[in-house]
Amino acid sequence: MTRRSPYPYWFFAPAAVIYTALFLLPTVAAFWFALTRWDLYTATFIGLDNFRQFLAEPFLISGMSNTLIYAVTTSGLKTVLGLLLAVLLTSGLYAQGFLRTVVFFPVLVSTIGVGLTFTALMHPTKGAINVALELVGIDGPGWLTNPTLALFSVALVDLWKGVGLATLIYIAGLASISPEYYEAARIDGATRRQMFWRVTVPLVRPATITVITLSLIGGLRSFDLIWAMTKGGPGFSSDVLASTIYKQYQAGFYGLSTAGNVILFLMIALIILPLTLWFNRREVDA
Amino acid sequence: MANVILRDIRKSFGAVDVIKGIDLSIEAGEFCVFVGPSGCGKSTLLRMIAGLDTQSSGQIEIGGRDVSGLEPSDRGIAMVFQSYALYPHLTVRENIGFGLALAKRPKAEIAERVGAAAEALQLTHLLDRKPKALSGGQRQRVAIGRAIVRDPKVFLFDEPLSNLDAALRAQMRLELTELHAKLGATMIYVTHDQVEAMTMADKIVVLNGGHIEQVGRPMDLYDRPATPFVAGFIGSPKMNLYTGEVARALGAGTYGIRPEHLLVDGTSGRWTARVRHVERLGADAILHLEAETPGPITARTSGDAPWKAGDQVWLTPMPGKEHLFP
Repeated sequence: MTRRSPYPYWFFAPAAVIYTALFLLPTVAAFWFALTRWDLYTATFIGLDNFRQFLAEPFLISGMSNTLIYAVTTSGLKTVLGLLLAVLLTSGLYAQGFLRTVVFFPVLVSTIGVGLTFTALMHPTKGAINVALELVGIDGPGWLTNPTLALFSVALVDLWKGVGLATLIYIAGLASISPEYYEAARIDGATRRQMFWRVTVPLVRPATITVITLSLIGGLRSFDLIWAMTKGGPGFSSDVLASTIYKQYQAGFYGLSTAGNVILFLMIALIILPLTLWFNRREVDA
Repeated sequence: MANVILRDIRKSFGAVDVIKGIDLSIEAGEFCVFVGPSGCGKSTLLRMIAGLDTQSSGQIEIGGRDVSGLEPSDRGIAMVFQSYALYPHLTVRENIGFGLALAKRPKAEIAERVGAAAEALQLTHLLDRKPKALSGGQRQRVAIGRAIVRDPKVFLFDEPLSNLDAALRAQMRLELTELHAKLGATMIYVTHDQVEAMTMADKIVVLNGGHIEQVGRPMDLYDRPATPFVAGFIGSPKMNLYTGEVARALGAGTYGIRPEHLLVDGTSGRWTARVRHVERLGADAILHLEAETPGPITARTSGDAPWKAGDQVWLTPMPGKEHLFP
């Protein structure tokens, strides 16, 4: 048996050092600090008290369910709309290149900027959206002030900002489908609808997996847009896990909020890992 | 089974004319091969017959019916693509029955027709596999199966063997020829490989630069090529073609002699030549020679011929086998 030379492994070293310093160590440290009472200078081990306290908080359940609702809503809408927009923007439409830029543009804009702008647009009385609705005789809702609407209003803005990336991924996916599949379907007499459901949707599946995974992870850890638009309000109605954690940090409960981060990390892992495994297994079967 | 008639078919992409007025008649049940170099317009012509591309002008008739403006699915054709175009997410059974499922045919009918096609193509044991679990030849058969279940009047093949290795190509040539004999269907087949054209066709259409150079039976094209292009394209190794003094001496614009129609002798002949290289193929040997007249020349001899590089030989064209082109 020949012994493999260690020489090639040295090429991994720079990446391994950076990954360990910037990802592995902070992750391990987070798990440790979650078990302590921590004031940034001293940490006292208190076992699972932080987790008990965090899970006992009444707003946590609504924060968790809001996180799931927000992630599933934004991910689902980005997946569906992204695919439809990509199909439209690869169909030889007039000014197709310009329209692709228009769809992608919001992705490049600062999230905080988008949040502040839409907060102004969604103002119940002075916002451009309700003013416009009033012109056609509709009494617009309190987009961000109505507790049942606030989370969905932010989700819509998230969709506006993020659908461009999903569209771009789908455009790349559509470009990789050989035109011969569509020509074969045409010869078989497929209608446009049949081509979409029987050719496009199954063959663009790798892009769908990417879009679902990325947007779901993004939705589960979403914070900046929600914070910029509602700060989790009114009350706790649009609070998600990340904003709840941030509030604990603001209050100086570093150990407690780190425990919240560990819970968020585990929640994302518990959702995404099985999902990815399931997608990959289906991919192998296809 | 139907005949196909093309009347003055033209196709332009902007200012570029890729098909420059083609008139052609393909008889019902005929195996017709479009052959020519890359960019000659053979695939474009096939795609226009299929209805996947629209002709700029001209008329296409299939079975006596003008199909020029019809959708591909209304023309009574089926097509086998170069890449096979098998849907990777569907099983062989679903791929073959795809068109029938789209047409919402009863499940029992789909099962029966798919089963019959699979049996004819020896695919029955592979019906539940996905395309990626099949070899190139098996995929090719599935693509043909998908065409067969449509029960088309005309089968169209767009370079269907070009993704296969040499051995499999030879086997599939035979299988396709047998399939044609069994179905008796009209088949139009596009290839750039003159061996495929010669071995499979009832009729060969040689295309060059968007127009037809010659139409005829394989041996007619081999024995009596109408132009130097056809002479050079049909036959392997290609015909030796010369312009200049050799041709002028015989009152022609171009003189041609096939490598297999040259007698090679060690003592006497019409032209003296030096052997540059010998390719031994087993039964045959290909001699690449340098002759003072007419110039670089190729000859085919028996595989056990004694010649080697550097030998001096004499070459004599076989009587009646020389070709003169205006």
